[in-house]
Amino acid sequence: MQSGLRVIEMGERDDDGVPLSAEASMELIERERRSVGRRLAVNQAPIFAVWGVTFLIGWGACYLAAPGGPRVLAVAAAVPIVVVLYAVAIAVPIVLGARAAKGVRGPSRLSGAMYGWAWALGFLALFAINTGLIRQGLAPATITMLWTGTAQLVTGLMYLAGGMLWRDRVHYALGVWMLVVAAGSVFAGMPGDFLVLALAGGGGFLLWSGLSLVTGGRR
Amino acid sequence: MSDEAIPDLDPVIHAQARLRVTVALAALPDGDRITFPRLQSLLAMTAGNLSTHLRKLEDAGYVDVTKAYRRRTPVTYVALTETGRRAFTDYQAAVRALLDHPGLPEREEK
Repeated sequence: MQSGLRVIEMGERDDDGVPLSAEASMELIERERRSVGRRLAVNQAPIFAVWGVTFLIGWGACYLAAPGGPRVLAVAAAVPIVVVLYAVAIAVPIVLGARAAKGVRGPSRLSGAMYGWAWALGFLALFAINTGLIRQGLAPATITMLWTGTAQLVTGLMYLAGGMLWRDRVHYALGVWMLVVAAGSVFAGMPGDFLVLALAGGGGFLLWSGLSLVTGGRR
Repeated sequence: MSDEAIPDLDPVIHAQARLRVTVALAALPDGDRITFPRLQSLLAMTAGNLSTHLRKLEDAGYVDVTKAYRRRTPVTYVALTETGRRAFTDYQAAVRALLDHPGLPEREEK
């Protein structure tokens, strides 16, 4: 190979006094790579799972409480369920991301921070636009469909961005599915839009959580 | 066994502790650096042990150690250099060659 490198005999003792054969070396590389990779990257499976449960139960509760729906749940009961579930679902990726990125600086940290802020900025703009539209006067059914449709649109686009950022097809495909759910929710009308989000949205997240588990999806 | 030689295995990397450090640093995305305490916790090594091995990697030009100040507290950042990355790639190729051809004839030292 390169000149100037010392030829060392198999089984020669290293600084730790532990002989390292080629097999042991290869095993060590594989083991360390897996263990370090697991801790430096964010495992997507629990994040998608939390969002799946949030959509299934949260939007499911909205459907059960919505006017025109089964009305087996009071609106006053559905709203806090959604708020609490959303708070948890937003916190989980932030905590996992911060833990993985701890002590790491550089380009990946910058793109990660930009990605995180894109979520916040996207939803802030969405909130401003929707509030402005509602002030112009919208029918109550249109208002809920506006929220579910646009929130889902931003979510879908963010997953497309995540797919681009981490060159991750699984992530990107989830974005495509969320865009389909966004359009589907509006066409389902009120209160069917809640059911589309709960089942197709929540089910999609759970399916992708399983996919990430199988493919080892990390970012 | 004794008359069987192996391809050149870079002695700077071919030591359990330094190999672990190298793998961990190579796992960072390109251009990223990691703080000494985080690297220490990733590898579960003592500070003294890690410093010793980092110094050997640094002396070989494989690792870049920089100090920065964050809120007046010094923070040590560690990263693999381009040379280090290449050396690790060569090392892995050498190990693989060794596993594929266990009976390689002895090489002459240049």
